[in-house]
Amino acid sequence: MLRTTTSPIFSSFTSKPRTSRLIFKAFNVILEDTPPSARRNASTNLTTLHQGPPTSAYVHLPFCRKRCHYCDFPILALGSSVSNAPYEEKQEDDPRITNYVNLLVREINATRTCFDTNPNLKTVFFGGGTPSLVPPKLVSLVLETLSSRFGLCPDAEISMEMDPGTFGGEKLKELMDLGVNRVSLGVQAFQEELLKACGRAHGVTEVYEAIEIVRACGVENWSMDLISSLPHQTLEMWEESLRLAIESQPSHVSVYDLQVEQGTKFGNVYTPGKSPLPSETQSAEFYKTASSMLRGAGYEHYEVSSYSKDEGFKCKHNLIYWGNKPFYAFGLGSASYVGGLRFSRPRRLKEYTNYVADLENGAANWCGDGNVDLKDVATDIIMLSFRTSKGLEVKEFGEAFGRKVVNSICKVYEPYVESGHIVCLDDMRREVMSDEFKKLVGDDEVKIEDHVRYLRLRDPDGFLLSNELISLAFGVISP
Amino acid sequence: MGSMYRASKTLKSSRQALTLLFNPVKSIGRDPSCSGLHQAYGFSSDSKQNSREPAIDLTQFPSEKIRNFSIIAHIDHGKSTLADRLMELTGTIKKGHGQPQYLDKLQVERERGITVKAQTATMFYENKVKDQEASAFLLNLIDTPGHVDFSYEVSRSLSACQGALLVVDAAQGVQAQTVANFYLAFEANLTIVPVINKIDQPTADPDRVKAQLKSMFDLDTDEVLLVSAKTGLGLEHVLPAVIERIPPPPGISDSPLRMLLFDSFFNEYKGVVCYVSVVDGMLTKGDKVSFAATGQSYEVLDVGIMHPELTSTGMLLTGQVGYIVTGMRTTKEARIGDTIYRTKTTVEPLPGFKPVRHMVFSGVYPADGSDFEALTHAIEKLTCNDASVSVAKETSAALGMGFRCGFLGLLHMDVFHQRLEQEYGTQVISTIPTVPYTFEYSDGSKLQVQNPAALPSNPKYRVTASWEPTVIATIILPSEYVGAVINLCSDRRGQQLEYTFIDAQRVFLKYQLPLREIVVDFYDELKSITSGYASFDYEDAEYQKSDLVKLDILLNGQAVDALATIVHNQKAYRVGKELVEKLKNFIERQMFEVMIQAAIGSKIIARDTISAMRKNVLAKCYGGDITRKKKLLEKQKEGKKRMKRVGSVDIPHEAFQQILKVS
Ligand SMILES: Nc1nc2c(ncn2[C@@H]2O[C@H](COP(=O)(O)OP(=O)(O)OP(=O)(O)O)[C@@H](O)[C@H]2O)c(=O)[nH]1
Ligand SMILES: C[S@@+](CC[C@H](N)C(=O)[O-])C[C@H]1O[C@@H](n2cnc3c(N)ncnc32)[C@H](O)[C@@H]1O
Ligand SMILES: [Mg+2]
Repeated sequence: MLRTTTSPIFSSFTSKPRTSRLIFKAFNVILEDTPPSARRNASTNLTTLHQGPPTSAYVHLPFCRKRCHYCDFPILALGSSVSNAPYEEKQEDDPRITNYVNLLVREINATRTCFDTNPNLKTVFFGGGTPSLVPPKLVSLVLETLSSRFGLCPDAEISMEMDPGTFGGEKLKELMDLGVNRVSLGVQAFQEELLKACGRAHGVTEVYEAIEIVRACGVENWSMDLISSLPHQTLEMWEESLRLAIESQPSHVSVYDLQVEQGTKFGNVYTPGKSPLPSETQSAEFYKTASSMLRGAGYEHYEVSSYSKDEGFKCKHNLIYWGNKPFYAFGLGSASYVGGLRFSRPRRLKEYTNYVADLENGAANWCGDGNVDLKDVATDIIMLSFRTSKGLEVKEFGEAFGRKVVNSICKVYEPYVESGHIVCLDDMRREVMSDEFKKLVGDDEVKIEDHVRYLRLRDPDGFLLSNELISLAFGVISP
Repeated sequence: MGSMYRASKTLKSSRQALTLLFNPVKSIGRDPSCSGLHQAYGFSSDSKQNSREPAIDLTQFPSEKIRNFSIIAHIDHGKSTLADRLMELTGTIKKGHGQPQYLDKLQVERERGITVKAQTATMFYENKVKDQEASAFLLNLIDTPGHVDFSYEVSRSLSACQGALLVVDAAQGVQAQTVANFYLAFEANLTIVPVINKIDQPTADPDRVKAQLKSMFDLDTDEVLLVSAKTGLGLEHVLPAVIERIPPPPGISDSPLRMLLFDSFFNEYKGVVCYVSVVDGMLTKGDKVSFAATGQSYEVLDVGIMHPELTSTGMLLTGQVGYIVTGMRTTKEARIGDTIYRTKTTVEPLPGFKPVRHMVFSGVYPADGSDFEALTHAIEKLTCNDASVSVAKETSAALGMGFRCGFLGLLHMDVFHQRLEQEYGTQVISTIPTVPYTFEYSDGSKLQVQNPAALPSNPKYRVTASWEPTVIATIILPSEYVGAVINLCSDRRGQQLEYTFIDAQRVFLKYQLPLREIVVDFYDELKSITSGYASFDYEDAEYQKSDLVKLDILLNGQAVDALATIVHNQKAYRVGKELVEKLKNFIERQMFEVMIQAAIGSKIIARDTISAMRKNVLAKCYGGDITRKKKLLEKQKEGKKRMKRVGSVDIPHEAFQQILKVS
């Protein structure tokens, strides 16, 4: 039924099939085509949001001492030579880091954008890998390059992922002097045996030391990463980790549910839901525990895995992702979203090196031409906005993609509003109760968006089943 | 029909017009028909076919030079392999060319290594009898299926024959289908040529098998041929024995034309191809023929033999077996068993066949609700080549629009599903197979039930009696397993009719059993308790009074029509429990708790719950790389397509399939 009502909605848009991710152009051809006037004039709404110039940049610094057993990120393990020398400046001379940063700088410089204006960057995120292994001098080089290439707002949020045992007070101070103002500390767990089981390069002592350093340096905006559902993790251990996390008073906490990724050590030996991993029920319990303990301690659960002390400590950079807004990305394996095109850089160093060369000689481009498959945009928006506690803006979505889609989504969601997995909110963010929602959905005369402004997943039950719920909406958009 | 008949008379020279007139019939329901025939008419004007003189001159083969025989046997005793050898020996197919079991053409046949459809091949053979001049014979061989579900194929084939090669595996000896097929041939008055095959096997014991043939069928042990279809050993005696022992067809060549229509199929290029056996008279291309049952008349556009592919001969003579193409639109017009005669003559119709009896019924629904059109089309096409399936439209609250199909047995049903999938690319959900029941109510009314959902769960009038079909089953087994098999049969509500020894080690059992009890897993069970040594065959018998109840399955309180069954009262609890358990295993956790119940009327007899799903993978969306997460969600969305939504519950297609396996 839905199929027949929704498909014509999309077919009425002229949408161009997405071309290859990497567009190779002949040598000497100027990359910067004149943008189509339609694009320049387009008013910003959900369907054109991605067309504007990005004001965020992700920078990938892939170095780690060793690979964690759960990790499948594109990283470069440096090996034991550096593992026990966190505070020495010895790594500064590691040619692997220096060479990589030089390459990264070349990439940034070779980036020619296709926008009339180049607004200053409002957020920069150094992710990894372990960015804190990179000598401040080199971080400085990257920031300078970004600044000269795009400009950097004076109050830009500049985040950096840091691992316990890879930095001391002095290094952190230096980084802060360079402008780093948000630290994301990868603690993962507070139990020695769990850290060991994860193959982390640090122990609990380093965790406490790192927390102390961050606090002593006066980093106001700092986040702590924890992983739930680790092998052998018990509810007691998890509660302990949450308690200790709360005691150390970070302004932000990220709680990740363990993903057992193919090709990782965990992937080779563990099966989700099977011992020594917690069962599905236990794992859900962990999630709920985190939600209730952290909220109890005054954190707002503003995204599936993110908690912040108050509005100002939400991660602005991540909010860009979840808002389906454009962003640059630089470095090995990083993913950008510019001009409507999502592009992932090569994950292998050699290929990445070639890619940078192609970029410099004009043979590669990762900037979309603004033409996108509207269905893709719609599903991206659904998937991303449902991650947040703000949820999906029904009205805006309807304006962009048609009221029929909104109606169909509401129909599909009706039982889940009734069961409480999904929350409907009006203009004032007051909850619309399920029997009223049912009436609205059943009445073809009413415009649902006049009464329902937001749809969001309930914390924690809806968040826990986000995949299930989001894929239902996907089914409406592209049956 | 009437208008069609007139059209074919007045427009016979204008095939184009015919095509236009007969729009493809869309609806199928009780009235299956085939479409897509336009190529068929093209065939008649095919210049190549028309200009080429038939290479084979059939006039050289008067009745006395013709032998028509079937190869019959128990499953896997080597019928198709023997057919290969005989076709090679006569040069009908080239040795080493083509696949083994050449006549098993369907993909299902090749995959399962069984014959499903009888196939005919005409062979030419120079028979040399000692001291006499060699003389050429025309031999028609029909390879038949061994499985009990397809025994109607055997009966049909036998009607075009005067003799049969009864093949018996030298190691396995006489088995249940050997007995069944022997009697089919015997009752049809055919000459039986016993052949013990697979004598190359180390465990072969031809003497014992000979003794069995003697004691069970009173066959002369001196007349038994010993062969190996594998190595070719003893093969040279087969065709001389056929020629010597089997009488030529008895027809009268100067009588008016009379042909038996014994099979038909739909060929993409030729349209409907009818397999015929000329009883009397002769037929030439261009003749006008009428079909007794339908009253339709047609011009014979092509006529020939299966050699083994369709080969035009321009004619067929008395006693010969071949095919005709008439530009008939649908196989529906070709009623198997019909008598074909020359238009404007009068002939005594041939006895024909008794109609096939459908033993099991099951609903067939498109796996994806939107594919009803595609399923309709596929079923139309397939039933054109498998007239033994009955088809009627039905609607299920749970599964949408679909068909109620009648099958000859479970293997037949399985094969039908597989063919739908392989030959037409349609994915189907089939409901629990049921046998046809009769219910009598206190107001005197009677209800025939082919779909359990159609039986009211809480009827207005009291059920005064219920009736179920039975079968007479034959089981042949080594004597050490008799105890276990007798237990099995009584557990299945069977009644012993006969218990005899075939020889010192083998027992022959006859039981009357409710059809329902043998339909699903009886044979598997039998095989497993006898280490695979028992064989089993059955024929349909009368209805018997029985205490039957409708068993409903409810999901979250809502009855799912497609899961309803009719069971014997005594077994209801067990079956209910099993069904609930099965469903619990197949239905994945949902976002809500799912309550599964089995009920008779308003009485719940079994229940269980599937607790709600707790957590979906909470994949991190690290960095801006959302592509992997998105793929995962897309996959999850696709997964939902493999589900049928019943009320608020998603049931995977497999669940419907798997529930079949509950007794
Ligand atoms: N050793 C040996 N094997 C044989 C002989 N004849 C047939 N077989 C094998 O027996 C199996 C069954 O042979 P088929 O010719 O398919 O038997 P069938 O009787 O046509 O089987 P259905 O059509 O399913 O009833 C195959 O694996 C053959 O290769 C023989 O003479 N000797
Ligand atoms: C880029 S990773 C690692 C950054 C830094 N090297 C560290 O270890 O803290 C960022 C965060 O993702 C989380 N993470 C990485 N792999 C994960 C996985 N397989 N399952 C769940 N969370 C994971 C960890 O909490 C980690 O802190
Ligand atoms: Mg066969």
